[in-house]
Amino acid sequence: MENNSLVEKLTLQSESFQEGFETLCKSFSFDEMAKNFLHLLRGNFISTKIHLLYKATKDSNWNNIHSQEKFSDADLALLSLNNPVTIKYISGEKYNAVVVLPLADSSYLGILIGGKLDGSVLNDFDKITLQILLQIFDSAHKSFINQKNEKKLIFELNEKVLQLNNLIDTGIELSRYENQNILFDLALGRIVILTNASSALIKISDVDTNSTENQITFPTNISPESILNSEHKIESCFDFNNKTYQLVLSEKETRKGTTSFNDLDAMLLQAVSRQVRASLENEYLLGQSLEKERIEKELNLAADIQQKIIPKELPKIEGYQLAGINFPSREVGGDYYDCIDLGGGKFALIMADVAGKGISAALLVNTLNAALYSYLEFNLPLTELADRLNKLIYKASPPDKYITFFAAVLDSNSGKLDVINAGHNPALLLRKDGTLEQIEAGGIGLGMLDLGIPYTGQTLIINSGDKLFLYTDGIPEAMNSAEEEYSEERMIDFFKAKSGQVPEAFIKSIVEDVKKHAGQAEQSDDITSLILRRI
Amino acid sequence: MSTEFNLISELHDKTLVIKTEGYINNAGGEKIVQELEKHTGVNKLVLNLEKSKVVNSIGISHLIEVIEKLNQVNGKLVFTNLDPTIEKTFTIMGLFQFAGKADSIESALK
Repeated sequence: MENNSLVEKLTLQSESFQEGFETLCKSFSFDEMAKNFLHLLRGNFISTKIHLLYKATKDSNWNNIHSQEKFSDADLALLSLNNPVTIKYISGEKYNAVVVLPLADSSYLGILIGGKLDGSVLNDFDKITLQILLQIFDSAHKSFINQKNEKKLIFELNEKVLQLNNLIDTGIELSRYENQNILFDLALGRIVILTNASSALIKISDVDTNSTENQITFPTNISPESILNSEHKIESCFDFNNKTYQLVLSEKETRKGTTSFNDLDAMLLQAVSRQVRASLENEYLLGQSLEKERIEKELNLAADIQQKIIPKELPKIEGYQLAGINFPSREVGGDYYDCIDLGGGKFALIMADVAGKGISAALLVNTLNAALYSYLEFNLPLTELADRLNKLIYKASPPDKYITFFAAVLDSNSGKLDVINAGHNPALLLRKDGTLEQIEAGGIGLGMLDLGIPYTGQTLIINSGDKLFLYTDGIPEAMNSAEEEYSEERMIDFFKAKSGQVPEAFIKSIVEDVKKHAGQAEQSDDITSLILRRI
Repeated sequence: MSTEFNLISELHDKTLVIKTEGYINNAGGEKIVQELEKHTGVNKLVLNLEKSKVVNSIGISHLIEVIEKLNQVNGKLVFTNLDPTIEKTFTIMGLFQFAGKADSIESALK
């Protein structure tokens, strides 16, 4: 064939080659690309005896593409890798040309070209056309591989962005939940997305006994055992509030099956695990804070109740000096004192202490106060008063609540003092001559028992210069930071030593002395006292 | 390993409607691809993910394969009833450049 004629024919074909290249480039898969290339070859060489074979790697076998043709060992032997890209032209054989084309991804395309339909052999034009078509396929395949790599890179980049976004969202969302079950479900759902885990588990067990308390899985129908026994797994543990939380991921997924988790997966699991712990801590601290708030409200209410019944001002008693104090502790107790004008120069001096603290103690003091005012109107003997109060408090209070109670009715004209002591600290009567009497006559604390055991009263005379000292256990039992009590001995000694002081001054000085003893230690109980001195 | 994934499908002319339930991971994604391949001639797939709240990136790679298969036949994938988290995931992964979304199956079928 003349060169000019060849050039002319190739020029005419150039548009066809361009279209062929574009068709190959549009292929969705290698398989489709090979199919299109086969059409191109068969069209150009007007032959149905053209076959394509593919070899994924140097060592793998040749596989047919889009052909049912059975190849003999002799046929396959023609596809030697010794001189790839070389086109072998064979005369008078089954195949006129054999090509092994190495591809950009280290695979190979084998081409076997048989006779043309018209029985002619490949001419010069066909040979040049074959060279051009091979170059076209090679370029299209490189473009296909580049596109595939580009897609893979974009996917991986998007995946990283997604991972980062998920991690941030996970932190925010986990911190919102107060319900533990929702928190665990969310954490599991998030961590499987972050790591491509097939399944995940949160196992909660007791730190001391190691017994399992709860197991939550994702997906929910998977048994915890299958996750714990899986071939590929990673885990992260933490202890909180006497429980061990174990987060386990099982079987990292790929398109080709499952594999082991990598360092990034371990870091992501740690991050989610820390976030779960932070959420549990927040939930716990919120609960503690609400409980503290509730207790403080209760204490404030108790303090209000108590302060309302503590007298703001004591009555003036002709010929006597009287002073009282209630110095409440931070944790409101149930101390109560009062001096009630009964008329006719008679006054009731009251000192009481409810066992326990808080609102229940304050309410019981309130009950005592109301009942006391009511009964005192009937001018009952103190023994009967105590008996009635005992029955009332016994019914009105739980078994662990009772009141130690001291009452004295003073006839200010005669100095006669009827007293009763229901389980309270002994009242102290310091005579002018320095003699100290401890008044203990009475019975059990109010509300302790209702067995009909009668209370015993006592009658005394308070003379000029005598002092009656009523107090609650907040004074002798006040502790310092070494947990040493102020003690009854020290209190009595102080009472005797300061006998010359007027009641108001004495109360101030004994409170100061108690505080001095306590030092930095927190006041654990109310300090309550009432002092009566006959001028 | 069991993965708690189920799907049901309905064919409306050349539109296939698939409703999924559960984790769309490798196994779940494969099932969606297989379901599409079962129905030749389909040029639109409506994928209702109302009962799927978790999709991992392997599951997403299968969905991309579905999009590419439909593109070959000038078809389209439309997601419906997406959980906000999944919608955000698909946005980041760029799926909505090649697939649509609708609030319900009915609006996707219009």
